[in-house]
Amino acid sequence: MRDVEIDNNSKKEASQTALTQSYPTPKNINLNGIDYLQSQAPVGIFGGTLISSTIGEGPKTFNPFNAKDNTSAIMSGVMYDGLLSSDPITGEPVPKLAKAFSISPDGKAYTIYLREGIKWSDGKPITADDVVFTWNNIIFGGYGDTSLRDSLYIEGKLPTCRKYGDYVVVFSVPKPFAPFIRSLSASIAPKHIFLPAVQKGKKYFESFLSTTTKPENFVTSGAFKLKEYVPAQRVVFERNPNYYEINTKEEKLPYLDRLVYLIVGDLNNQVLKFEAKELDIISLQGSKVARYKSLEHHSDYKLYNLGPDTGTMYISLNLNTRKDSKGKYYVKPIKQKWFNDLNFRKAVDYAIDRKNMVLNIANGIGEPLFTPESLNSIYRNKKLKSYDKNLNESKKLLKKSGFYTDKKGRLYDKDGNRVEFDLYTNAGNTEREAIGVMVKQDLEDLGMKVNFKPIEFNSLVNKLVSTFDWDMVIMGLTGSPLEPNGGKNVWMSDGRLHMFNMRTPQEGKTGILPWEKQLDEMFEKGALATKFEDRKVYYDKYQEIVYNQKPMIYIYSPTQIFAIRNKFKNIYPSSLGGLTHNIEEIYIGHD
Amino acid sequence: MDTIKYIIKRILQTIPLLIIVSFVSFFIIRLSPVDPLAELKLNPSVSPETVEKETQRLGLDKPIIVQYGKWAISFVKGDLGVTSSGEKVSTKLAERIPNTLLLTIIVILLTWLVGVPLGIIAAVRWKTSLDRVLTVLTSIGMAIPSFFFAVLMLMFAVKTGWFPIGGLTSSNFADMSFGGKFWDITHHLILPVLVLFTISLAGLQRQMRANMLDVLDSDYVKFARAKGLSEGVVIYKHALRNAVNPMITLLGFEFAGLLSGAALTEYVFQYPGLGRLILEAVLKSDINLVMASLMMGAIMLILGNLIADILLIMTDPRIRSKA
Repeated sequence: MRDVEIDNNSKKEASQTALTQSYPTPKNINLNGIDYLQSQAPVGIFGGTLISSTIGEGPKTFNPFNAKDNTSAIMSGVMYDGLLSSDPITGEPVPKLAKAFSISPDGKAYTIYLREGIKWSDGKPITADDVVFTWNNIIFGGYGDTSLRDSLYIEGKLPTCRKYGDYVVVFSVPKPFAPFIRSLSASIAPKHIFLPAVQKGKKYFESFLSTTTKPENFVTSGAFKLKEYVPAQRVVFERNPNYYEINTKEEKLPYLDRLVYLIVGDLNNQVLKFEAKELDIISLQGSKVARYKSLEHHSDYKLYNLGPDTGTMYISLNLNTRKDSKGKYYVKPIKQKWFNDLNFRKAVDYAIDRKNMVLNIANGIGEPLFTPESLNSIYRNKKLKSYDKNLNESKKLLKKSGFYTDKKGRLYDKDGNRVEFDLYTNAGNTEREAIGVMVKQDLEDLGMKVNFKPIEFNSLVNKLVSTFDWDMVIMGLTGSPLEPNGGKNVWMSDGRLHMFNMRTPQEGKTGILPWEKQLDEMFEKGALATKFEDRKVYYDKYQEIVYNQKPMIYIYSPTQIFAIRNKFKNIYPSSLGGLTHNIEEIYIGHD
Repeated sequence: MDTIKYIIKRILQTIPLLIIVSFVSFFIIRLSPVDPLAELKLNPSVSPETVEKETQRLGLDKPIIVQYGKWAISFVKGDLGVTSSGEKVSTKLAERIPNTLLLTIIVILLTWLVGVPLGIIAAVRWKTSLDRVLTVLTSIGMAIPSFFFAVLMLMFAVKTGWFPIGGLTSSNFADMSFGGKFWDITHHLILPVLVLFTISLAGLQRQMRANMLDVLDSDYVKFARAKGLSEGVVIYKHALRNAVNPMITLLGFEFAGLLSGAALTEYVFQYPGLGRLILEAVLKSDINLVMASLMMGAIMLILGNLIADILLIMTDPRIRSKA
């Protein structure tokens, strides 16, 4: 068992509540021949509603296999469980629809033992047929979003899935492939509902179980099922009476009758709705936390600090030295020289005042970040040391590369070109805009001229992944704290998000830098190793390379702070799972 | 007969107009450097194959003129296409149009029922204290930006707890009785209606007052008064009929604003109308949705003007003879 380390040293003690008592993990139990999951948390009271929210325009689909955006994935995730899930505290794979699993010694066969006697919300049994159908026909068949399938190709081959009896399924992978175990958390579909849709073809499947489907047509395995969807207003889920988890008094969970997600347009509206008591739970950003904390004592909510966010915020420099199809350089040759100069990148890094940003932008609710893996990642390389802003070091590095400043403090390169470039971020994200202003100031201390240009999100992404005409950018990415392999799109030299040195598909791996080659190697090896300890070595090395080469300069990770009404009990906050990972165990207490 | 011919002529005239509008809008949207697949592309767990598939599905790999041609053909056939996330544009619009109409029709009815009489009264009682009070109030109404007023009203709702924070229905709406549902919707509508009403009332009242004042100053009104007609007959029979003509043109514009006029207020109040939908569509360059809304706006404007012209023909004999 590995514990997730959360070091709280640089945060304001006043503005946080420590993680409370540890979460009692549910256990398997067999009652009258049915393999239930039994909650070990205190027994609660049935009934009531929890009102949460989602920002944006609401879900685009309720089909877990079509969900391409976060909101749709959350909504379908509420309804459809997978075989396994991640332990909210340790990140270990834990059984959900499966009661147990085993991996063969050669790492090529995954045997899944299903729960016997559990049912879909319409009363039909959940069996190996559903699992085999989901994997072979839907996922490997290329229905819906094929990202999961595409990530499982190993040397051009897909894993296979076979059933042995009604309750045993064996997955075979052509080669040991560590990230596979995490993909077993993919939702399982009820065969009797999905089969007709699959038979009608891929085009029909895209609109299957969409937002216009009648709620009664959903057959689910999760704790809740859809009751009502009102466009641009809310999604209402009601309890699934056939859910397979029971409490210690052998009563069927979930406790709550309803789970409601209000669809709110923006953060401000979300805060207003929480204050007007229309919402029960809210995630708070930097400046709001102090105010909510001061109000906490005479209010009906409690704040929870879940530790660092899984997101990473960074500054990236464009290392591209290639030409576009018209023979024009993506980045001006003068600038190419600066950005490809390690001393220049390091000088930029040393000039950034991360602590100041945490203090002023995140109101102290965050931590400086130096690694590409987020602070709560079980793979984070803890040997990479943090350091403070050091302008002298920056100036020394710049001098080494022949940069000089004139009497007015303006910086020139050794050929006499004024160091001036554009810094982009997406407009409307106030946090990134604030970081941009501070980065600009920090770099101007070195005599650089930085033109800070916040532009619209979709235009920015177009620059980053299509036209490559940018110098420096402030962006954020979310990654899995459990599985670094997802980052291969960013770090491998031909990755689709290899922003700092993006290559077109035609270019392949041309102009690969020595350390980019090393990164490729680490990601290839890391995915094929199976033991955590072995994988850790490769992923530590990749973080070290990034730390030393600075293609991306990491800034800080915000801390996740949630507020939830006191009346909700059985709250076991976790850095990995959030506040409502055990939604089926949460109940409304009388006090 | 002449009137029908006139209407047909007008409708035919709009066709080239609509083609130009659609052409220009389509090209402006497509030439802007906004990537409709940005969110997908920036998600590390989405595979390149998926991005490729989406690009083909949305036709982004084809030249703009081909994309426009495809869009135009299906538009003429009555197919509005699908949004970038694969939902039908017509369903999306159909979900929102009734909500927006509910809001705008209430507002238009209220403003006309209140604004026109207030305008007449202010003109008749010109330079009295009542007129002055109304002038001050309407000046304030015209001066406040609608989104700012809406934000103020939201703060008011949060502080007092008297009104819900935006939306149209409460989360337990489905379980309410009919009376409860009616009250719930009314309760949610009060603040957005108040905001839109205040803003548009001011303009309408002033317009009506100005028209009426113009007419009251004209020779034939002076003549009618000199003839010894009662004040009631002078104002309501002679003056009002003439003062109302410009208002009919205004009504045409109100019609055009039925679907799009409340967008800002809708956004602030998180009202589930077209405003929020279209704003997000524009930001994400969701071409089919944006085009559908733009075309809808253009058609509504043309239709509004046409209706106004027809009404004018009916009320004004001078236009009738020319047409």
